[in-house]
Amino acid sequence: MIILGAVAPLGISGYWLRFITFIFMWIGLAGSLNLLTGYTGYLDFGHVAFFGIGSYGTGVLMVKLGMPFFPAMLISAVLAGFLAIIVGIPTMRLRGAYFAIAMLAFAEAMKQVVLEFDGITGGGNGLSLPIYTNYQFFYYAMLGTVLLLIGTTYGFENSKFGKGLMAIREAELAAEVTGINTLYCKLIAFGISAFFAGIIGGIYAYWMTFLYPGDTFSVLITMRMIIMAFLGGAGTLLGPIIGAAFLATIEEILWAEFKYTYLIIVGFIVVFVVLILPRGLVGLFRQRILAR
Amino acid sequence: MILQVLLDGVLIGGIYASCAVGFSLVFGVLRIINIVHGEFLMLGAFTTYWLYKIYGIDPFLSIPLSCSLLFIFGFLLQRYVINRIIDAPEIMSLLLTFGLSLIIANLALTAWKGDYRLVNPGYAGANFKIAFFTVPYVRLATFIFAMVALAGLYLFLQRTDIGRAIKATSQNKDGARLQGVRPSMIYAVTFGLGGAVTAIAGSLLSMSFSVFPAMVGDYLLFAFFIVVVGGMGHIPGTLAGGLILGILQSLSTNFIGAGMTYILIFLVLYVVLIVRPTGIFGKGLV
Repeated sequence: MIILGAVAPLGISGYWLRFITFIFMWIGLAGSLNLLTGYTGYLDFGHVAFFGIGSYGTGVLMVKLGMPFFPAMLISAVLAGFLAIIVGIPTMRLRGAYFAIAMLAFAEAMKQVVLEFDGITGGGNGLSLPIYTNYQFFYYAMLGTVLLLIGTTYGFENSKFGKGLMAIREAELAAEVTGINTLYCKLIAFGISAFFAGIIGGIYAYWMTFLYPGDTFSVLITMRMIIMAFLGGAGTLLGPIIGAAFLATIEEILWAEFKYTYLIIVGFIVVFVVLILPRGLVGLFRQRILAR
Repeated sequence: MILQVLLDGVLIGGIYASCAVGFSLVFGVLRIINIVHGEFLMLGAFTTYWLYKIYGIDPFLSIPLSCSLLFIFGFLLQRYVINRIIDAPEIMSLLLTFGLSLIIANLALTAWKGDYRLVNPGYAGANFKIAFFTVPYVRLATFIFAMVALAGLYLFLQRTDIGRAIKATSQNKDGARLQGVRPSMIYAVTFGLGGAVTAIAGSLLSMSFSVFPAMVGDYLLFAFFIVVVGGMGHIPGTLAGGLILGILQSLSTNFIGAGMTYILIFLVLYVVLIVRPTGIFGKGLV
């Protein structure tokens, strides 16, 4: 399948290339959220902030300082991870609900920062990046990031660190008592998760060539990340992949038919997942297969 | 000049406080973060709007109606949907209320379109002058109503049997059960109550601000700010938090610039979470 993915762009048309690159992007975004939420149980309602920081960071560095793409993207992603840790320090000491909404506030504040400092960021007029139309490059960039992300998620699943995170998710107080430094672990997971979101943001910025604060920091992006991660199955390796592919495809179909009402359907999907499939689609498969 | 700004801040802060108190109550008793809270505000505002538009009912008079309607809605919503995950990990209630809010908000958007609407009866723009202050009638009236609603809720919780049962359930569910209180009923009533107060707030808001289905976004953040600063689950704290937010917003908009307001709010929130997560009075639940 990986070989297929590697070879595919050489033969397919523009629409499909773009569509699959999009799917990779969303797998990456859902996956980055999954690193945090799936394994520690802390839901981040403002995760789009890191996507936005990655995007705008890359944009500003390339446009204002003339930096080439890769360093700009990496610096922005590291910045995103770093900010995550800073914001995480006070907010992760409290219960998950505080963290969730504090992050929403953070995302809004970041959007405001971009709008306010419009000398640098172009503010409400948007930011234009240097044009680069080799779409196959973006395909591979997203694919590469996703592979790296999957590798990291695999690492989370099987390492002592990852098991520590899962302990935090299931019973935080007990985890702390057994000697796991919960704050430290949570912050690391958060930082890594933000880093990946930042990378994807950077690639996205270069790919789209134009950034607009309302879109780049939109809460809708966070919503989709959350839904994809949970629909597929949070805290699993395949979850974000299945969830992202499934939802992106459904949205592509529905969006043409029911432009506005599809969000209602999405809302129902969320309610359905919470009430009936808390472990997501992956959980459903596991139940069926293990039950035999 | 600065006193006028402060006054504006106080007047609006009172309304903000009434927006947040339902959120605080629900969290204090059910221990869930209710994202649908924003939708209750929106629905309360729209109820007032439609009653005004179609029947010409004065907005203030529509309050009892919006209040009762949303009490029933909240009660049923909790009893039959939210109650299913009441014992599950917190993240589930976050997700569920999130999904519900998506459904409700987008149903409203589909039904009523996204246009901004305003409720403006004849006395809308009028104001009177005292000393060197200019006080708009509507702001003052909505402020008074908000105070009455807050005081009413507080007294209800302190003095009535149901109120005490609610407080008991929030403090010790099993103990309350032993005393003959049915938690599931209490949860439903509390949620309904929270919804009702929020509906009142929404109706009040509709008189000063535009009404449209997506209006919830800011108010949810404001509500969160208020309950963190005031102390989650503590009603007098909510009043203090609301006033602080109102004054902060008023000062920031007038002296620094509207854009910085969000950043300022976030910074204050951040600092409060580090320094005093239980809120000003230290009575918040953490």
